Amino acid sequence: MSVAELKERHAAATETVNTLRERLKQKRLQLLDTDVAGYARSQGRSPVTFGPTDLVCCRNLQGHTGKVYSLDWTPERNRIVSASQDGRLIVWNALTSQKTHAIKLPCAWVMTCAFSPTGQSVACGGLDSVCSIFNLNSPTEKDGNLPVSRMLNGHKSYVSACQYVPDEETHLITSSGDQTCVLWDITTGLRTSVFGGEFQSGHTADVLSVSINGSNSRMFVSGSCDSTARLWDSRVASRAVGTFHGHEGDVNAVKFFPDGNRFGTGSDDGTCRLFDIRTGHQLQVYYQQHGDNEVPHVTSIAFSISGRLLFAGYSNRDCYVWDTLLAKVVLNLRSLQNSHEGRISCLGLSADGSALCTGSSDTNLKIWAFGGHRRVI
Amino acid sequence: MDSETSSSVDEQVGVPVATSDTRGKHRILAELKRVEQDSKFLQEELEELEKTDNVSTVCEELLRYIDTSPDALLPVTNGPLNPLWDRWFEGPQDSQGCKCLIL
Repeated sequence: MSVAELKERHAAATETVNTLRERLKQKRLQLLDTDVAGYARSQGRSPVTFGPTDLVCCRNLQGHTGKVYSLDWTPERNRIVSASQDGRLIVWNALTSQKTHAIKLPCAWVMTCAFSPTGQSVACGGLDSVCSIFNLNSPTEKDGNLPVSRMLNGHKSYVSACQYVPDEETHLITSSGDQTCVLWDITTGLRTSVFGGEFQSGHTADVLSVSINGSNSRMFVSGSCDSTARLWDSRVASRAVGTFHGHEGDVNAVKFFPDGNRFGTGSDDGTCRLFDIRTGHQLQVYYQQHGDNEVPHVTSIAFSISGRLLFAGYSNRDCYVWDTLLAKVVLNLRSLQNSHEGRISCLGLSADGSALCTGSSDTNLKIWAFGGHRRVI
Repeated sequence: MDSETSSSVDEQVGVPVATSDTRGKHRILAELKRVEQDSKFLQEELEELEKTDNVSTVCEELLRYIDTSPDALLPVTNGPLNPLWDRWFEGPQDSQGCKCLIL
């Protein structure tokens, strides 16, 4: 077949793909008979109401000298690892506010960090395109610094996010500016699987975020500058299980819903969305109109342990607490006492859901917990 | 014609015409295969969608999960309450307890 004939076939195939995409979009619209808020209202639900001193800032973790970019809790106990523009990881005991480790990184341009399932190691990555692993129990070197115990090389661009596979100390997943996600075997330092990229169907722009399903650790979701989120089965690298359209800007944050059957996203388009993984439906959009023309970007999201609350950090210093059922903002942490003086870049719930940690460009991390009176039903 | 254009460019740099023609062809063939594969995936998705529940069915499941899960950060929640949830408000909270220096 000649080049010209191939080009003709390519044009025809592209036309088919566009038609199919449009048909899919229309079919989905037919199935969107309601959204979560509409359904919840029809069931007579009312929004969560917080008293003025219910959610309080109970710890202020000071120590970084640059913006905090990323944080992660241990699966057990009260420790947090944070990564900062100051080129350091700090490991904190959030309960006592004490720092247990301060790690000066070989490459200062760090973007992400994660705790291993046992809490014995931390991983980080950034503009060096490498994911570095540190064993917290290693003896320090002469300069007092913790040595790198493993470097995961292979990405062709920055490492934007990393997360250990739950209950697997030797496997983690990274997302990258090279448009791929990678599953790594830390023992060998080799890539077990590459999701997307040059030779496979996947994201068509930088991947910014990743979240592994806590109920089924084979599944993970990624968010990208191509405005989509994609669901992957780690055993099948050749194609995504599903692609979720809807956002109109970079998908900066993705997080699985606690039941493992849904996930949330946060984007430069100023919205958070809730998607269902089995049907592929977009269940809800979380967006509050602002007075001025500026639409703040969503930088980070986390669900409370029941899923009733969605915490979302924005580029304008807001940190909204959304009622996920009624799609209403029920609190703005920014308006509380001792709130951050800069934008929220990252946030995460403790393993038992009793505390939220927020990290900010003001160089601090803060812990928020419920200090009011609880009513049990 | 495309092949003639690439020929003239390649003659200028001394690359054999046949090789450049083949390389261009391989690229387009790879791209074509990707688009045809995407088409196949989309067709499968469309067929799957015919058997898919609507949103209200999914919402019912979602509500049930949220309603039955205890949540430390809610003012009104399912039990059981866990006393460990309140550890953030107990004991000495010496914010000046850590005096280590970041060198």
